[in-house]
Amino acid sequence: MISSRTFGFFLMTPAVIIIVMLFLLPVVLTGVFAFTNMSTSTGISGGAWQISPATLQELRDRYAMPELAKRLAEPEYVIDELGLAALSKAGMGADIVADLRQRHLGETFATRRDAERAIRDISHRPSTAELKQISEQFNHSIAGARFESKAALFAGLASIGMRLTEAEQAAVAGATYTGWNWTGENFRRMVSIPSTSLSLLNTIIYVACTLTIFNIGFAMVLAITTFYMPERAAGFFRGLWLLPRISPPVLYVLLWKWLAWDTGFLSVFLAPFGIAQRNWLLDSSVNAWIFVVLINGFVGASMGMLIFSSALQAIPKLLLYASEVDGANRRQQIWHIILPQLRWPILFVTCYQTLSLLTSFDLILLSTNGGPGSATEVWALATYHTALNNYAGNLEYGYGAAMALVLVAIGIVLSPVYLRLFNYRVLVSRPLIEQ
Amino acid sequence: MTPNSRVWPVVLLLSIISAPLLLMYIYLFVDTLTITTPGSLIPHAFTLKNWHFLWATLPGRPNIWRVALNTLIFASASSAIVLSVSSTAGYVLSRLNVPFRGFFLAGVMVLHAFPSVTLIVAIFLVLQMVGLYNSLAGVILVKAALDMPLGIWIMKGFYDTVPWEIEMAGIQDGASRFTVWRRLVLPQVRPALLALGLFAFLSGWSEYILPQVLSPGNQVQVLSVYLAGLIADDNNFDMALFKSVGVFYVIPVAMLFLFFQKHLMNIYGGGTKG
Repeated sequence: MISSRTFGFFLMTPAVIIIVMLFLLPVVLTGVFAFTNMSTSTGISGGAWQISPATLQELRDRYAMPELAKRLAEPEYVIDELGLAALSKAGMGADIVADLRQRHLGETFATRRDAERAIRDISHRPSTAELKQISEQFNHSIAGARFESKAALFAGLASIGMRLTEAEQAAVAGATYTGWNWTGENFRRMVSIPSTSLSLLNTIIYVACTLTIFNIGFAMVLAITTFYMPERAAGFFRGLWLLPRISPPVLYVLLWKWLAWDTGFLSVFLAPFGIAQRNWLLDSSVNAWIFVVLINGFVGASMGMLIFSSALQAIPKLLLYASEVDGANRRQQIWHIILPQLRWPILFVTCYQTLSLLTSFDLILLSTNGGPGSATEVWALATYHTALNNYAGNLEYGYGAAMALVLVAIGIVLSPVYLRLFNYRVLVSRPLIEQ
Repeated sequence: MTPNSRVWPVVLLLSIISAPLLLMYIYLFVDTLTITTPGSLIPHAFTLKNWHFLWATLPGRPNIWRVALNTLIFASASSAIVLSVSSTAGYVLSRLNVPFRGFFLAGVMVLHAFPSVTLIVAIFLVLQMVGLYNSLAGVILVKAALDMPLGIWIMKGFYDTVPWEIEMAGIQDGASRFTVWRRLVLPQVRPALLALGLFAFLSGWSEYILPQVLSPGNQVQVLSVYLAGLIADDNNFDMALFKSVGVFYVIPVAMLFLFFQKHLMNIYGGGTKG
């Protein structure tokens, strides 16, 4: 019979593998990717080494090697055996090839014109079209060439007779590389650009308003009012306020869009009062904010409502009756009996919702998409727009990962708070059966 | 409940606050089956034309039944993975003295609280690297993994309520730990399995961000991405069509809630994300 340890090991393995691969690994990789400049243009796998106009620009500007850039840019024509072989393979007559070899082998020309002028003298008297065909075979220009490795790049440079110093080699390799690099630039950029502080401010407004007004405030109103209601009415309201939570987000936001769009409910309803029809969701940043808080708050209120309600059910009925006998009115009852009972649940909901509001962006994405302008662009949504989806189409994975890393770090700091909120000691008490 | 104040002012107040919510849901169903002249709020005729997407594929969109099938596969597969893995891991954490048990428990709890959506950038890149981008398998695995800490946590909680005596008796009679788990303990937590399975299914059915980012292609599209794509298309703005697709999308959710309300409230009441 296998021991309970081995048995436990087997039962645990799938969960551990899945959680490590798709949960812990991404946490680590967010940190790794944050220190790269990965983007759509660099790709995510390794890159190649390509000599392009951008390369030459970079050699001039970043490495201050204009001389080297000029040499790389220059086309070069060398009459060599390789070119001759290619020429005869391309179907050029053997006599022309022999003639070329005899007269010009080993000669080097800086431009195509020079090369063609020299070749023109062969006995065959080639036409202009033929000349072009011939000179093409001896083109040793490296501009536009693409190499799969650094070694291939240097070999390619050597084959056209470019001898580089070590510093030049490093510069060429750096400038021609198309893949991603390690960099700390993302964080420098994050603290320097203004959009960072804007989305930080937006996030604070969003979390603070939604949390205080709805997730705690309105949730308490719901819990306390339904507590005093007859059972049927209470059940109806609790069920109604649970709808936003169980509706899929895409559908839920669609309902709000219907409420707010140009010819939607709000516009039609307010038209008789002389208020112009408009898209209430996006017409001004204040309105956009009101809707963002409402949309998120209506979902968030239900969690507080459920937790507070069940805490209220735990109040002994006798206590309430006794207080009434003693002449307490409804307000005193709420203040002295009900609110003290809610202290822990409020703490729990605050911790939980802070974290989930900080990082959730699906409802904002679906409703305002950060607009109008960037008025409602919160940090998590800005991360999504940077790394995963934007109009420009250049997705900056590295910078997005750096932005996500900030949220991951907040999550890592805040989520262990739960170990305190739940009674951790009891959870880890030793099992009763051992074999 | 107690007579020191009247009930009706509170009911009235709450009714006024709740009115927009109620209206939105009522109009969701009304608008799919009726025609309303723009500028009016009262529908004037009955119609089925908003439902034409069921038999005529919309231009530039995948077939709705194909999309519904993808959604079904996505939600049930991730639910099945969550269920099978959490029911074993939850048992281990509840009952067996494995090495690092305290560490695992703490880890599961921290991960449960951890905002997993922040990992989307890294997961996106990983799936691209391993070639699972734009495939149902990839997004199913990711969804299951992200729901798993909650699943393990819930199953552990339910296993904790099963009396030790049942297992003691089984062990005394010479059954192995596996038999005890399979034959004696698992039947005890059947309501939990049902609740967690349904919860994971609904969570998959409603999921938007993960499929949108990880599998947006037409072949593997799910209903949430399909509907969001329709709504985002500014050239064909048809609110009644959106609502009809929305109702089609939400029918299974509504059905499951109607039938299994009690089971599901076990989990929703326990504090999940959102």
